[in-house]
Amino acid sequence: MAGIYVHIPFCKAKCRYCDFASFPEKLYLAESYMACVYREMAMRKEELKGYNFDTLYIGGGTPSVVDENYIAMLVAAAKKNFSLSPSAEITIEINPGTVSAGKIDLYSKCGINRFSVGLQTAIDSQLAEIGRIHTLNQFVTCAKLLKGKNFSVDVMIGLKGQTPDDVIKTIEVAAAFGASHISMYALSPEDGTPIYTDYLNGELPDADEVADMYAAGYKKLEELGFHRYEVSNFAKKGKESRHNLNYWKRGEYIGFGVSASSHIGNVRFTNTFGLDEYFKCLLSGNLAVVDRETVDKDGQEEEFIMLALRTSAGIDREEYTRLFGKDFISEYKDAINKMNGYIEVTPRRIKIKDEYLFVQNTIIIEFLRNRL
Amino acid sequence: MGKKNNIRNFCIIAHIDHGKSTLADRLMECTGQVSERDMEAQLLDSMDIERERGITIKLAPVRMFYKADDGEEYELNLIDTPGHVDFTYEVSRSLAACEGAILIVDATQGVEAQTLSNVYLALENDLEILPVINKIDLASARPEEAKKEIEEVIGLDASYAPLVSAKEGINIREVLEDVIKYFPAPQGDDDAPLKALIFDSYYDNYKGVILFVRIKDGTVKPGDRIKTFRSDKEYDVVEVGAFNPRLLPKEILVSGEVGYIAASIKSIQDVAVGDTVTGVLRPAAEPLPGYKKVQSVVFCGIYPLDGSKFNDLKDALLKLQLNDASLLFEPDSSVALGFGFRCGFLGLLHMEIIQERLEREFGLEIITTAPSVSYKVVKTDGEELFVDNPSHLPPVSEIEHIEEPIVKADIYSPPDYLGQIMDLCREKRGVFLQMTYLDKSRVRLEYRLPLNEIIFDFFDSIKSRTRGYASFDYELCGYEKSKLVKMDILLNGEICDALSMIVHEDSAYPRGRTLCENLKDAIPRQLFEIPVQAAIGGKIIARETVKAMRKDVLAKCYGGDITRKKKLLEKQKEGKKRMRQIGNVEVPSEVFMQILKTNKD
Repeated sequence: MAGIYVHIPFCKAKCRYCDFASFPEKLYLAESYMACVYREMAMRKEELKGYNFDTLYIGGGTPSVVDENYIAMLVAAAKKNFSLSPSAEITIEINPGTVSAGKIDLYSKCGINRFSVGLQTAIDSQLAEIGRIHTLNQFVTCAKLLKGKNFSVDVMIGLKGQTPDDVIKTIEVAAAFGASHISMYALSPEDGTPIYTDYLNGELPDADEVADMYAAGYKKLEELGFHRYEVSNFAKKGKESRHNLNYWKRGEYIGFGVSASSHIGNVRFTNTFGLDEYFKCLLSGNLAVVDRETVDKDGQEEEFIMLALRTSAGIDREEYTRLFGKDFISEYKDAINKMNGYIEVTPRRIKIKDEYLFVQNTIIIEFLRNRL
Repeated sequence: MGKKNNIRNFCIIAHIDHGKSTLADRLMECTGQVSERDMEAQLLDSMDIERERGITIKLAPVRMFYKADDGEEYELNLIDTPGHVDFTYEVSRSLAACEGAILIVDATQGVEAQTLSNVYLALENDLEILPVINKIDLASARPEEAKKEIEEVIGLDASYAPLVSAKEGINIREVLEDVIKYFPAPQGDDDAPLKALIFDSYYDNYKGVILFVRIKDGTVKPGDRIKTFRSDKEYDVVEVGAFNPRLLPKEILVSGEVGYIAASIKSIQDVAVGDTVTGVLRPAAEPLPGYKKVQSVVFCGIYPLDGSKFNDLKDALLKLQLNDASLLFEPDSSVALGFGFRCGFLGLLHMEIIQERLEREFGLEIITTAPSVSYKVVKTDGEELFVDNPSHLPPVSEIEHIEEPIVKADIYSPPDYLGQIMDLCREKRGVFLQMTYLDKSRVRLEYRLPLNEIIFDFFDSIKSRTRGYASFDYELCGYEKSKLVKMDILLNGEICDALSMIVHEDSAYPRGRTLCENLKDAIPRQLFEIPVQAAIGGKIIARETVKAMRKDVLAKCYGGDITRKKKLLEKQKEGKKRMRQIGNVEVPSEVFMQILKTNKD
């Protein structure tokens, strides 16, 4: 299993919490940018000949802000350069404030079969507060356009003034309009973003309040038939995101565009975060990789554990033995004993107990070697 | 012999912040000792801590040459002194090496309590005192009042005191001229047997122990065989020299001079500050008076964060003790903290400085326990013992009574703050002795206070309640019977010995409550709920709860984030290494300092 990620670094406006590579004021460069991405794909063609890809994920930024024809060409370029399975999961992230019937129609025609809609919250005042460009009504319009299609909705918790009831309401709206998948993640105030000031001023909900929102959302999602397969991801049966599952299984993936990351043959590498830098590299016929790290055997094991423990399924003991040639239980005896009560050990798996998945860091670090 | 007339040995005494180090720098600059370009601000404060805190802890001698108005060239040896009350001992060490003292008085603040105690020390040592009024460049300067204060409070004639600004370099030459005019030249007989007072020392990795000496009689040069009075060991002098302020080798040191001796002395325990160096061939009959033996006033436990670094900590303490004889320590152990040392200090600041030096100069990570004083315990069988570590207190049934050290405190303040100061002293179990109006803007309050009440936050409290205007000095004056009890702290039901303390019965409840509250905030939330309790004997007197952690998860963990997220987790794990395990509770080392706070943050 392998995936392709493409990053579209444009938006109508930057959300107040956003620290991703996105340049709203450079939207006029979209056409040249897309040309560079097609070129980058062509440059990777030879190297990735032997790979069969079964997911393509177009993320951002706001991919739906650029002309839909570029997106169609992008999917075509991916299919032309790489072996992309006919049953591949092809996802695009869309903002309810930037869609139209025509766009959705073209997306579907070019092969996109999964949509990830950034709703975040169903409360308009909170949408305005975090700098989203859309309202709840626009989401409703968007969801109607997506009727009958496979789509996911992003929900944030921990927003200023948000209550558990607000979270429940947001989930109910998403479910009512037919979402098959919901991502519910906590706001993480990053240094340098406008919302970080709110955080420093103590205006954001504290950890306990966020935990209450998570618990309320979790309960509502289960009631509505969304099962949790990773700490922040919930899906109707069979509707899990294959692209994301690949990340948590330490699968391989190739990233294109500004800030995109890749994991190929135990090497992790990342493209530059600068738009100008990216153009400069690609226009002069070079790739734009800035960070490259070969993950050694210990590092692979560490990643395998930290990623698997995020998921509801946990660590597959047989798979661990197959990958690392050891028995997990004897290898991590001390940590297992120490975390007894917080983890579940079965003949096939080791997983964090459901009620402790939201405090997983404290548990996961017991299983990490100290490599600093 | 005529040459001695051209030597002056002197020091500078001043209250903290009155500009001592700045003036020292200006004197050096004025004598061309250091070119302006090379000057880092405050050259003598060579330790980072000193420069950051703006205080001087270690003596740093320097030799300067000055061509005076009379046409003669003079050798001036300046020995800088620390200004804080804790370092009186170090001050007296440097005073013994001098004939004169420059007394700096801040033109905006006048005479302070510490200025007084240091002046008395200088007078006890028969030093000539030259008052200098500093900071005259400031708009709020009132030099005439400062002079009047010197005359009224100290009783020195201040009419001839130079008015200077060390910061702006105003009237610095006048100070140098006065030094030559008013301070006597050293006396001594070059032909008499060698007598050199060790006033400081430090360890050099190449040269061994470097002795800082004042030659009282005789001479010393490379090749001489020397010994000290307190040890039988003999050494061959390898190098002698002056302070530049860095070491500058010379052919010979003669009586009256200040300088250093290197004699391949390997063991730092063999040469004590205050001892006298003499020649082996022609020894002096008796040593110089030396210094008054110091007594530790504040004690605390110091433990390595990493248990395997015990020996590194021991080496570091030995090296610090070499030039700070007032630091005392002995091995100790704790259930919670493992092996470490029980250390004795002159005061709280001294304790903090040592802790910082261990961390900065020796790169050690340490945990310190709450400071304590030395209690006198009288047992039912009549035996008396001194206990400075709460966990060494005998069982209650064996104690007849406990006595605690008492100090006489002098507090100087403008009259506006008398109420606040008296309230504070009452809270601290103080007994009012008397009050004297020094002039219409300054009052001296005298109190008897239990030492264990002032080692926590008394100094900070007094400063904050008087907006920094009051100053404070104290001296020990014996032991007094008191109702003292041992208070234990339990974490998740287990006693943490490193947090036990001895408190007065009346303050046990509020102290226990505050401590539990502070601990509750300082102990990070863990996967389970942790009761934090204070207990006397078996009785719980306060309880707080550290709630179980409910959120600890990395945000979206997709794609390229993985490398960064892995590092975040590794960092979180690294942070845990710095914690101590008490029962099944993980406790960060800072928690052990919470006990210092007597107020809720």
